[in-house]
Amino acid sequence: MRTYLLPLVLLVLVASCGEGTEKIPEVVIWEFMDPKERVILEESIEAFQATNPGFVVKHTNYPPEQLRTQFLTAAMAGGGPDLVFGPADNAGPFSVAGVIQPIEKLFDNQYLAGFEPLAFDTLDGHIWTLPSQVGNHLCLIYNRALVDEVPGTLREMLDQAETLTVDEDGDGRPDTYGLVFDSKEPFWLVPFLGAYGGRVMNANSEPTLDTQAMVNALAMMKNIRVDRGLMPPGTDIQLAETLFKEGKAAYTINGYWSWGGYLDAGLDFGVTSIPIHDETGLWPAPFVSSRGYSVNANLKGAKLERALETLRYLVSPAVQIRTAHELYVIPSSIEAVKDPAIQSDMRIKAAWEQLRHGKRMPVVPEMRAIWDAMRPAYQNVINGEMTPQEAAKAMQADAIKKIREMKG
Amino acid sequence: MAGARRYRTAYLFLAPAVLVMLAVVLYPFIYNVAISFSNMSLYHLRDPQFIGLAHYKTIFLETEIWGIFGKTILWTAINVVSHLTLGIGLALLLNQEVRGRAWFRALLILPWAMPQYITALTWKGMFNYEYGAVNLLLKAVHLPAVPWLSNETWAFIAPIIANVWLGFPFMMVVALGALQSIPKEMYEAAQLDGANWWYQFRRITLPMLKPVLGPAAVLGTIWTFNNLNVIWLVTNQGEPADKTHILVTYVYKAAFHYYRYGYAAAFSIVIFLILLSFVVYYMRIQKEEV
Repeated sequence: MRTYLLPLVLLVLVASCGEGTEKIPEVVIWEFMDPKERVILEESIEAFQATNPGFVVKHTNYPPEQLRTQFLTAAMAGGGPDLVFGPADNAGPFSVAGVIQPIEKLFDNQYLAGFEPLAFDTLDGHIWTLPSQVGNHLCLIYNRALVDEVPGTLREMLDQAETLTVDEDGDGRPDTYGLVFDSKEPFWLVPFLGAYGGRVMNANSEPTLDTQAMVNALAMMKNIRVDRGLMPPGTDIQLAETLFKEGKAAYTINGYWSWGGYLDAGLDFGVTSIPIHDETGLWPAPFVSSRGYSVNANLKGAKLERALETLRYLVSPAVQIRTAHELYVIPSSIEAVKDPAIQSDMRIKAAWEQLRHGKRMPVVPEMRAIWDAMRPAYQNVINGEMTPQEAAKAMQADAIKKIREMKG
Repeated sequence: MAGARRYRTAYLFLAPAVLVMLAVVLYPFIYNVAISFSNMSLYHLRDPQFIGLAHYKTIFLETEIWGIFGKTILWTAINVVSHLTLGIGLALLLNQEVRGRAWFRALLILPWAMPQYITALTWKGMFNYEYGAVNLLLKAVHLPAVPWLSNETWAFIAPIIANVWLGFPFMMVVALGALQSIPKEMYEAAQLDGANWWYQFRRITLPMLKPVLGPAAVLGTIWTFNNLNVIWLVTNQGEPADKTHILVTYVYKAAFHYYRYGYAAAFSIVIFLILLSFVVYYMRIQKEEV
């Protein structure tokens, strides 16, 4: 038996060393994409591989938090994927930890000039993400069956939303709501903070939360949720989307990522900017950021070249135009933006308009502390457990504490 | 020496397992202890410095931690007591000669068979204020809707309900196995002596269940104390306003949201020591009873 076994093992070993089984190095991407976006990525990868036979591109989807943690851990240990796709604020922790490479050192100026300048987020003077889309921001969305015309000012819009909040069966709970949005996440508070001229942090990345602007914005949130009762208690993103999809809400505030779902639900909806504030004369200013690819700091030589070649294809105008068509995202490529079909899409145009009023979201790691400090105090105001003044103070103190702790 | 030679084959067989255990248990544990004395964080990932007991001092001086510790005890106690009570109760029922016993048994084990992640998210959906099944049921019987996930107290009760549902089948299976091993003659003898059901339960069933349920309760306590998934997912990471944290969810947030690796490592050691003390105390009691 043994005499047969030895040649067999040798045969397997020799065969496995042969040229025929030489493995093509893979380009690995870790991404946080919606399912529809992932389909486009997969088809783009297939198209790229078809025209570039020497390439094998693999991708793995992660939820946002896992993507950050896993990538940090893997890249710190000298491994990880070649490319990582996600929102631009990933650049904060990744660049501080030194696990991604500056984009301007990988691509020449001529190539980068093909992108919208506002699509680039910079940190410490470097671009850390090659954007495939820009915006990622909130807009006002209205159900055309319930709203004939969007009023010109915020106050008028809220008044209209109040008249559209109707309890038809008299059970004490409205059957149609005027305005629904995620009342738990401070991302939705930011536009209203902007309407009062507030920002969450200054240029030195220090929190600026205990301000009159924040007090006013929180008071407005309380007015919307509690005093006017335009949305049910505890409205989160799922509930807001469900109510809007079912035609039980006149307005919602949401981003491009939700529009496909509304279309699938057969809803006739319009997109516009959140109206200007009557008293301050300022436009609500949602956070604006890009989404794109960062390059692992461990990549060098031929492996780096292969990853960059893949990346060029994935952010090419052709892929961006397709993504914009199907997902209503705003492309980062100047050539893609000029595409006639994109220029004529009313929803993308409206998103552009809202983007003009938006403010860039800081990509520094301190934003994590800012969000987490804002969230509980904001929720406490909505739940009636804090006054806006108390909440603004609490946010500021908590943000300072959290940033200090983060920095160790 | 002679012993070592004698058991050489046994040691050789054990060696791979020992190596794996060293790599996946001992090394991470020692590494965890080491970084607990450092300022390792996002800003000091590559250059952590030794800071002694600073993190341990912070943990014990933070007033917020004591509140979270109290909640952890409450969470663990309510869950384990409910698991035991429901588990033993259902096991007693299933131990009777009832029709469709196998079906009931399968049905009651179902919560245990479902992935915890899915169960937690399902319960989260059921606690939705507007569309959740729980509030719809309350509405159907003319009771007011409960703000399950937006009120601090209810948001703590919600994951407890979910975890009780998830955890009782384990105790039920353990108790059922133990019940079936109790000799029927003991009950017959007790009945001949005129013992009623309650007396039999106290004097025969409970003492006979104890050797099995004791370790199961200890395991249940450790699992519940360290149960991250249910409370994290049902309360959406400690909402509202970070008021529904237990120690493990708090430490998870410190490590993976704020990248405070040194602090989180120190906190993990504290949690480990709490559970170790509990187990040592339990073992001592067991020893004294023997």
